[in-house]
Amino acid sequence: MTSIGTGYDLSASTYSPDGRIFQVEYANKAVENSGTAIGLRVKDGVVLAVEKLVHSKLLIPDANRRIQTLDRHIGLATAGLLADGRQLANRARDESSNFRDSFRSPAPVKYVADRLGSFVQVYTLYSSVRPFGISTIIGGVDQDGPALFVIEPSGVFFGYHGAAVGKGRQLAKTELEKLKLSELSTRQAVLEAARIIYLVHDDSKEKEFELEMSWIGDETNGLHVPVPKDLLAEAEQKAKAALEDFE
Amino acid sequence: MDHIDMNRLKQGEINLGTSIMAVQFEGGVVIGADSRTTSGSYIANRVTDKLTFLHDRIYCCRSGSAADTQAIADFGHYYLQMQTQTMGTPPTVLTAAATMEKMCYQNKDQLSAGIIVAGWDKKNGAGVYNIPLGGGLFRQPWAIGGSGSTYVYGYCDATYQEGWGKDETVKFVKNTLALAMSRDGSSGGCIRMCVITEDNVERMFIPGDELPTFWEGREVLGEATKKPLAAIAAVSDVAPMAVEV
Amino acid sequence: MATVSVYSSPGFDFSNLTRNHFLAEKGLPLPKATSTGTTIVGCVFEDGIILGADTRATEGPIVADKNCEKIHYITESIRCCGAGTAADTEFVTNLISSNMEMHALTHGRKPRVVTAMTMLKQYLFQYQGHVGAALVLGGVDSTGPNLFTIAPHGSTDKLPYVTMGSGSLAAMAVFESNWRANMSRADALQLVKDAISAGIFNDLGSGSNVDACIITANNTEMLRNVEMPNERVQKERTYLFPKGTTAWKKEDIRKLVLTEEVTPLAVEAMDTT
Repeated sequence: MTSIGTGYDLSASTYSPDGRIFQVEYANKAVENSGTAIGLRVKDGVVLAVEKLVHSKLLIPDANRRIQTLDRHIGLATAGLLADGRQLANRARDESSNFRDSFRSPAPVKYVADRLGSFVQVYTLYSSVRPFGISTIIGGVDQDGPALFVIEPSGVFFGYHGAAVGKGRQLAKTELEKLKLSELSTRQAVLEAARIIYLVHDDSKEKEFELEMSWIGDETNGLHVPVPKDLLAEAEQKAKAALEDFE
Repeated sequence: MDHIDMNRLKQGEINLGTSIMAVQFEGGVVIGADSRTTSGSYIANRVTDKLTFLHDRIYCCRSGSAADTQAIADFGHYYLQMQTQTMGTPPTVLTAAATMEKMCYQNKDQLSAGIIVAGWDKKNGAGVYNIPLGGGLFRQPWAIGGSGSTYVYGYCDATYQEGWGKDETVKFVKNTLALAMSRDGSSGGCIRMCVITEDNVERMFIPGDELPTFWEGREVLGEATKKPLAAIAAVSDVAPMAVEV
Repeated sequence: MATVSVYSSPGFDFSNLTRNHFLAEKGLPLPKATSTGTTIVGCVFEDGIILGADTRATEGPIVADKNCEKIHYITESIRCCGAGTAADTEFVTNLISSNMEMHALTHGRKPRVVTAMTMLKQYLFQYQGHVGAALVLGGVDSTGPNLFTIAPHGSTDKLPYVTMGSGSLAAMAVFESNWRANMSRADALQLVKDAISAGIFNDLGSGSNVDACIITANNTEMLRNVEMPNERVQKERTYLFPKGTTAWKKEDIRKLVLTEEVTPLAVEAMDTT
């Protein structure tokens, strides 16, 4: 960011003279400090992967998960403030369940993304609240096939073939662009996702990280589930090997 | 099952003592109803249209209180319009039926309505959903409802076969309704039908004097009375009955 | 309850409920609302709608009004006949008339008959039949002639000829035997008159005169008392007795009008200081 707040950054309900809302931009900063999260929309499904930075050796493995399930067929990965991600996921679960209740059918991924976008946007209007400090990747398979969306702290959301948020997003995006996402199978995408997360992880700054991955596709019967242990192990092992080739 | 509990109808309320029906076939549904609306023993409307538009390819058949079912159908129509605008796609028959069911269930204490929702959508094709008196949602290959339906369950069970085309299904609906209307005093008049397919909605109308009567057979009583009359005419010296002045 | 408290507890007070029950049992029920035991009809003809009504209003067995108006104004080209509780038909048509005017103003065009029909049915449905209005709504709008009946519970019917009220059976019998599609104005008016007359003469709840209203695309003609088949005629005999019919024995005439003298006091001048 080039300019400084100079008084226009104290509240989400105040514009700066050049038409910006600093509180929302600061929220983006909170996202940038977080471990990378990526999502891949491929031929028959979606893969979500997160570089979860481990702050303490005392933490048990798998603690503080950043990928959550919203509905049978929709998953969500966040980058930014962990607690904000929890809050948003709970809201998303409500939205999805309400949709099922009134329409007797699973919610389209776009519908959930739209509702969450509106929810997040409301937090950019009032001085009494703070915008969400997260960027959210929502992935799922609905009746129209695989879908992937990213919701930013401002409330805007876009659909993607491949998405990356958090610290290593730049490098991750370049790597995603190299892939032929619409031709990949979900299984192949798992390997690619693991490789990208290992690649973008900056060893010099943060030593420890955990790879967290989930997928939805034909192999999971349209359900959002964690990537099975053996596949995860295989992906990690291949990712490490690829890393050595890369360097 | 869809019997209208007369005590549940409010005093003086207008009733659709009805025969209604919906049957699915490959590629569409046929819905049908009689045309009688009663208020006590008076026929308030003898050409009623109980096949009510909900969406482009979704209709409902109404039985029970006329006021209640019209109100439900009006709300259903409104909700489905809103859904279409917000979702950007036409609703499925299931969604429409679920919307109607919600209203029927949540207001069950205030309502007397037995509704059949039927139609066609891209996702599931043809569909028939029965919503009986207190709510509940049941997908069926065919559904009958209203006071007249009780007389024709046996006929439907014995007659219905899977794999019919449009013409056979129309004939089934027409015959079933004619049977129901002939036995049920609060059903009658004409038959209205709709054939709903992906391409269009085709309305059909059978006037009251053109209803099927295949089950009636040869008139026995009429023949018996005709013969003596002819015999009387032949005998010329039969004196007319004396009438007191 | 020994002393009357200045503090009254919040909420409804049901203390008169048992009293009213008691009074009703003793033969003093609550007064009944005036109902228009009525014949009202409507009919489509070649270029519009004709509405008809009788003019009797009843309170139980009493004729409350011998020449009341039952064809109510909704808009210039939409009118509504009311049967049932007189107060309810009057109020509900007034309310919808007002809302229709507002509707016309906000949208800047002539409102349609279905709009009035929807407003009426939603209002009546909301009150679950407790607003006792049975209506015949007719008019001509951008879509052409429209005719509806609306029952007190909020159900509606759309038909080319309709009847309502206690005389509806008599009137319907006339329509069922003589109505034809695309009738001329004169024929249709005669049919409506016949239908209402059938109600007036065969239904105890209906009586007096025939009102009719002819609505076409650019004109509405209200024919008040278009037929008066029950006018009072000169009595065949009078009941005036000639003077001296009753004999008397003595005569005593007294002045019953008292005169009183009033002296006005001096009026005090207004204080203008």
